[in-house]
This record gives sequence, structure tokens and C-alpha cells, in this order.
Amino acid sequence: MDYFIHVAILASIWGILALSLELVVGETGLVSLAHAAFFGIGAYATAILLKIGLNFFFAAPLAMAVVAAVALAIGLVLSRFKGDIYMLASLGFTSIVYSIFLNWQSVTNGPLGLPAIPRASLFGFSFSTIMSYFVLVIIMLALVYAFCRWLTRSSFGRVLHAIREDEEATSIFGYRTTHYKLLVFVIAAMLAALAGGLYASYISFIDPSSFMVAASIFVLATIILGGLGNVRGAILGAFILIMFPEALRFVGFPADIAAQSRQLVYGLVLILLMLFRPQGIWGTFRL
Amino acid sequence: MAIAVQIAFNAIVAGAMYALVALGFNLIYSTARFFDVGYAALAVASAYAVLYFYKTLGLPLVVSIPLGIIIAALLGLIIEKIIYRPLRARKASGTVLLVSSIGVLTVVQALIAIVFTSEFQSLSRDIGSTRVFQFFGGAITETQLIIIAAAFAVMIALGLTLRYSYFGKAIRAIADDEEVARIVGIPSERLIGIVFFLGTAIGAIAGIAIGFDSGIQPTAGLALLLGGIIAAIIGGIGNVWGGVLGAFVLAIVENVGVWLISGQWKAAIAFSVLILFLIFRPKGLLQK
Repeated sequence: MDYFIHVAILASIWGILALSLELVVGETGLVSLAHAAFFGIGAYATAILLKIGLNFFFAAPLAMAVVAAVALAIGLVLSRFKGDIYMLASLGFTSIVYSIFLNWQSVTNGPLGLPAIPRASLFGFSFSTIMSYFVLVIIMLALVYAFCRWLTRSSFGRVLHAIREDEEATSIFGYRTTHYKLLVFVIAAMLAALAGGLYASYISFIDPSSFMVAASIFVLATIILGGLGNVRGAILGAFILIMFPEALRFVGFPADIAAQSRQLVYGLVLILLMLFRPQGIWGTFRL
Repeated sequence: MAIAVQIAFNAIVAGAMYALVALGFNLIYSTARFFDVGYAALAVASAYAVLYFYKTLGLPLVVSIPLGIIIAALLGLIIEKIIYRPLRARKASGTVLLVSSIGVLTVVQALIAIVFTSEFQSLSRDIGSTRVFQFFGGAITETQLIIIAAAFAVMIALGLTLRYSYFGKAIRAIADDEEVARIVGIPSERLIGIVFFLGTAIGAIAGIAIGFDSGIQPTAGLALLLGGIIAAIIGGIGNVWGGVLGAFVLAIVENVGVWLISGQWKAAIAFSVLILFLIFRPKGLLQK
């Protein structure tokens, strides 16, 4: 039973991450591979603040603020690019941030990672049991979902959709499209940082390998599977892609092969979706 | 002085490999018009094919290496036929093709890791026995000299083919304007198939070279490809010679940077170069 809750917690954390990327890719049409970087910076910043004794509910917002600043800088550079070059440059940032995690020994402890990250607590109540942490993560997922749903239906969200469909036309109507793109990019990065903080505090150990380009590709696969342009799709995609490969574990493969077959599944999902159903399960927008 | 010579040698070796990757990448990009990421995985697959023929079966090098290259090239052709061509026929955007090629990369990498494990392996049978030559105080191995010679041979052969043969002219016509090329009777779909075959074969040489020079692991492709793409962008994307120039520029910057800062920052240096170029000179050194 604990195992199922564990998988559900992971799926919910990835759901938050997928929701945040959905804002950028599905709503605004910017195919970013920088998300693993923001997830990672959020995780590291939260972990470091937790380890110096700060409460999670202060540490996570602080980490989100740090990520907002980084995302603003990266977003300013990325806003000059379009299409394939945008994807490539965003991937470049993920790689740069990954090598910072790997090499900034004094802060990140390099490839060895940060162990013994404390769990979140509130008014003396520690979310130390798996069930209580599950409740925390589900509440967070619900809040992020409600926020994304509200955002995409607001006038701001409609401008994002307009940018996705035709950026030039939108700018002719007088919208500063760069500002909108930058703002949604920063908001999404902050939500990714929240997911990172929840992840660090839950797993209690982080190392750079969790924040490689592969993580960005994985999140992209989840939202394409769930369906771009639909916030429910992001959560559906994350739950399918986290839970389904877990079944492979019970087939009885050794650990390394199980991990590789999971990658195999993600890759196949991407290829088959592109070939046969580019809009995903619930999508309203296709790349 | 000695250190400068050594840096120059390292830069030439790295530049030769990036140049090969950039050549294949540019060839595919200029005709098929998308960032083929899966190409990197096939370069690695060819190295593993050589590993199997040469080390596991014990076949001689002159058989193993051509077999490895042909297997990768055939895979490139097959993937083009069953995945990319239907997408192109549907007028899918470059992003869709890029995402599907990310899928190809992930699948091929995972398959290699399942068959050959994800450990780091070298292609040479007896590591450390390769002859080392000393010039002007810098060292270079025999393998590295062969890699440089092979890279220049491929560059010259490809350059001549593109310049003078019917095939080369047809390829340039497709790169210029695919629709017009088709109207004047160039069989563009068949030629794009050949381009995938050839381009993948060139990338495969780079993959095998890495395998012999420093060793290979299933995920090595992405780093190799990114070197090639960055080289292509520095030189001016779609420009065959620009890619070669960019490869050497990138290799020099990387090696000097590694010497000044530290080897661990190599990837970060490469991407910083990329982003600076994208900001200040997005069309590359040799603008078309």
C-alpha cells in the first residue's frame, strides 16, 4: 500500500511540473526544454534552505523567488528565438545549469548530491509519514491545477493562446508579446521550482542526475501525451507515464533493464504520438 | 609552448570529430529541414556494432568498421522511411519532426543500453598499446592521427561530390527549394533517402572514432551531436563548409577554455558559445 502512495506522490509532483510546462508549451506554443533546470534549481535551493533549518513553507517560496530571477534572465535570452532554435537554446540552458550542479562543489556537493534533506513541517506537525506527505502533495497539486485553470481562462491566458496561434497578428493588435511570453515563462519556472522543492523534501536526497536533459524530455512527453492546450491533460499524462512503467517493475526485469525499458516506453510514446495522434489524448493544440 | 602545442593537437582532434558530425547533420538538415536528434543515437549505435563485430566476434577491423557504418546508415534510411517521411508527407512542422527524432534518440539509446549495458566501454582491444607520437613537445596518438586523416578524407570526398556530381547538384537544388526541385523532375523523396543514408554514415564514422579514441556509452550521442549542431550554427546552419569551420572554432574555444578554467565546464563552455552566437550572430560566420 505504501508503495502505491509513493508512486502517487511522485506522479503528483510530476503532475505539478507538467502543469507548469503546459503553460509554456501548450498554452503559449513555446517548446521549452529548460524545465529540468528550473525543477533542479528549485530542488537545490529548497534543500539548502531546509538544511540550514528554515521551514519548508518559507524555503519553497524563497526558492521560487530565486528561480524567478534565473528564469527572467534565461527567458530574456530565449525570447529572441523561435521554433527549433528556441528548443535548442533552451536545451543549452539545461545543460549549463546541469554542469553548474555538477561542478559548484561548495554549494551543491557536486556529483555526490545533498543527503538528509528534512521533510516539510507546519506548526510543529511534520509531514514525516508517507500518508501525510501524500495529502500535502495532493493539496499542492490541486492548488497549482486551480491556478493554471484560472490563468488559462483569464484575459492573460487568452492573449497567450493568441500568441500561440499567430504571434505576429497578436503584436499588431498592440500586445507586447515578448512581455507576455516572459511572464508566463517566469510563472511556469516558479511552479517547476515548487515541484522541485516538494521532490527534494520528499526523496530527502538529490543529485544532479535527476535534472538532466532527459528530465526535460520526459516532462515534454507527458504533456504531449496528455494533450497540449488542456491543463487536465498535463496531469493525466504525468499519471500515465509515471504509473504505467511502474508495472514493468512487476514483470521481473533487473533494475537497470527496468529503467532502460522505461526510457524505451517514453521514446516510443513520443514517436507514436507524433505519427498517429499529435494532439495527444485531450489536446486542443498540435505542435 | 609545449602546452600550446598540446592544446592545438587536442583542438584538431576534437575539431575533426565535430566536423564529421556537423557535416552529416548539415547534409540532413539542408534537405529534410529539421534538427535530426536521432542521428546522434545512430552514430553511437554504429560504435556498438563495431564493438560487437570487433571485440565480441573477433572480426578484423577492415570488416568490422565498414559493417558498423553500413548498419547505422541502413537504420538511418529505415527510420527516415517509416517515421520522418510520413510526417513530411503530412506537412508536419519542424517541431513535430524534432520531437519524433527525440523519441528515436531515446528508444535507440535505451535499446543499446539493454543489449550492451550502460557502462563505459572502449573499442580498442588492448587499451594503452596505441603508439604515441611526439611533435614540438605535444603528444598525439596513432588513433587520433587516423581519425584526423579519415575526417579530412570524408570532407574532401563530400565536398567534391556535392560540387561536381549530378547527385550533389540535385541535393543543392532540394536544399534551395524542394518544391521547385520536384517540379523540374528531381526525385526528391528518393534523394532525401540517400541523404539520410550518407549523412548517418558520416555521423557513424565520428561515433566509431570516439569509441576508439576515448570510449563510448549509450548516452554519448547527445553530447557529440550538440557539438556538431553548435559547430553548424557557428558556421552558418545548412552550410557544409561553415560547419567544418565552426567545428574547429568550437574545438579551439573549448580546449582553451578547459585549459583556463577546468575540464568539468566543457559542456557549459560549448553552450555559452552557442548562446552568444545565437544572440550576436544567429546566421553564423559564413552567412548564406
